[in-house]
Amino acid sequence: MITAIAWKNVWRNKTRSLIVIAAVTIGVFAGIFSMAAINSTVVQRIDAAVNEELSHIQVNNKDFRKSTDIQNVISDYQGVVAALESTPGVTKVTGRIIIRGIASTAIKSAGVEITGIDVEKEKEIFTISEKLIPGTGSFFETDTKFNTVFIGEKLAKELNIIRYIITPESIIILTDEGVPTDIISKVGTLQGQRFVSDKKFIKACEKILEPSEMEKYEWKIKEAAWSYREGSKIVLSFLDINNNQTGAAFRVSGIFRTNNDMFESLSLFVPMDELRQLTGMEKGAFHRVIARLENNDITNSVTPVIREKLVDYEVLNWKEIQPDLAMITDFIEQIYGVFMALILAALAFGIVNTMLMSVLERTRELGMLMAIGMNRRKIFIMIMLESIFLSIVGGFAGMAVSEVVITITGKTGINLVKYSEGMEAIGYSAYLFPTIDTQFFITTTILIVLTGILSAIYPARKALKLSPVEALRGE
Amino acid sequence: MAVVEINNVFKTYHDTEVEVKAINGVTLSFEKGDFAVIVGPSGSGKTTLLNLVGGLDQPTGGEILIAGHRLSELRSSELIDFRMDHVGFVFQSYNLIPVLTAAENVGFIMNLQKWPKEKRMARTDELLSSVGLADRHKSRPSQLSGGQQQRVAVARALATHPEFILADEPTANLDSKSAESLLDIMEKLNHEEGMTFIFSTHDTRVMKRAHRVITLEDGKVVSDEIRTE
Repeated sequence: MITAIAWKNVWRNKTRSLIVIAAVTIGVFAGIFSMAAINSTVVQRIDAAVNEELSHIQVNNKDFRKSTDIQNVISDYQGVVAALESTPGVTKVTGRIIIRGIASTAIKSAGVEITGIDVEKEKEIFTISEKLIPGTGSFFETDTKFNTVFIGEKLAKELNIIRYIITPESIIILTDEGVPTDIISKVGTLQGQRFVSDKKFIKACEKILEPSEMEKYEWKIKEAAWSYREGSKIVLSFLDINNNQTGAAFRVSGIFRTNNDMFESLSLFVPMDELRQLTGMEKGAFHRVIARLENNDITNSVTPVIREKLVDYEVLNWKEIQPDLAMITDFIEQIYGVFMALILAALAFGIVNTMLMSVLERTRELGMLMAIGMNRRKIFIMIMLESIFLSIVGGFAGMAVSEVVITITGKTGINLVKYSEGMEAIGYSAYLFPTIDTQFFITTTILIVLTGILSAIYPARKALKLSPVEALRGE
Repeated sequence: MAVVEINNVFKTYHDTEVEVKAINGVTLSFEKGDFAVIVGPSGSGKTTLLNLVGGLDQPTGGEILIAGHRLSELRSSELIDFRMDHVGFVFQSYNLIPVLTAAENVGFIMNLQKWPKEKRMARTDELLSSVGLADRHKSRPSQLSGGQQQRVAVARALATHPEFILADEPTANLDSKSAESLLDIMEKLNHEEGMTFIFSTHDTRVMKRAHRVITLEDGKVVSDEIRTE
């Protein structure tokens, strides 16, 4: 009976209740969706770090990270591989040679980390081969007598292998992309000019386009003008096994694009045998052994098992190699705490205000209920229930809206290409695919109901202080 | 046997520096089947006396006994149950629960007392029929006229067979026809079921029907007139 009355009371002033419910809905949606978006950046970043850069576990010679001397190899490669492969949870293992060197073209040079890889095994563990930019070649699939290298887009730009040229093809691409003809004709005035960096190209575009046009079409114009000459050559210089300067020309096999500018500009990949030949490293010599696990969640439990088996080596998991990633996860949780606290506080004030108005408006009615025999406990429960109903309806509506929006945007992605430069500089994708786990929804629901209960206490206590005599007073 | 006994009751309010004696030594008793009105000018203490008899307020002196229970001995929570079990209230402005239907309003106290559903519904039917609203079970208060709402309030007050009904200005907001109709119902309940009614009123229509007229002035009983039919 009390529950039924409380529910009906919620709908007495429909407009007011709907406003509060809408406020709760928006608050909950804002909280959940923004957390889903933030969460997605972290999940994507961790996935990218694990799948493209680090894998789950790395085993190094104990001195290798302190000094990347070419001599600091893993002494018993086969033993390490066997220990890893026999560890439950480990799915794939491969070795790498890692050498510091300089990559240069006729125009520019850059410090790089040259990674010698087993091409086939690498494809099983890392997804870097899938990050090949279409039209730039392949992941070491071309049969050639030359040394080959797989490099990042950022490094390719730094070395001036990539240029920006508006060609007749660029105009066709822009037309296909639906760019207005007046913009295309303005861009067409740049035909024939070569821009060796995107900064110079953007500067030239800014001279002929309005800022609003730039904001809208910059990305498409850059993509259309992006130009790469297949088979470009770079020279890699490094020290060989005897610490003698050596080097060779490498043809670019392909160019990869990730969301991490730092990784793109520092890392390049060379087939292991080519590197062995140039450095003079023995066949069984590796600097690092990489292990892939069944999933991220078992990282913490598998690491100590491997560490115990390989006491003579440095065993590190991805969280230890990039502590910033683990830290960001903790940081996000803290942000979530603050964010939710703010939303819930706003929600609480809204509910307190509404319920207080509702109680004060019903002074006579509440007094009458006390007069005819409804005890204070029941009055208290009734007011509490009204508030809880408001919170629950708004809370569930907010969660339903969040679920729908997260499902849709989780598939379509949220395009933040405008901010891609900044985001990719720190390793984050410019496309967000919001994602959230069930636990988060449950926690949020509990918090909302708790807020509803806590916010109702003050108005409910106010109701208890009413005197039933009020009901018998004349109008 | 006296349903209500009021023995030398005082109620004094302290309003800053002024002491207001709202009830000043009233001694009265009401018998079962009384149809009594308390009259008097505004501020004479009618409503205060009704509140004291209904256990809504505590006297500052004297004692009130209802069906043998001394109200001053009951704790606040016991008083609420006591009111629910022994006293029926009819208010000037009907005070029905707006979100409930007529039948739900009538059944409300029975519900609080946890009556079985069938018994509750049967009593509700009986009461709504007795106040002439057998066909308005599902009407909300906003769909009823003032007179109809007050009749529902009477039915609600009668629901749990109280010792007596306190009605504070029950006709004040009603037109003549509705007021007469309401008084007819109350009179009938008094005649046929022996229900005790204690009114506070200014309304001459109520006074005309009363069997007993108690006049209050400045918190004191100045006359207690019993009329014979």
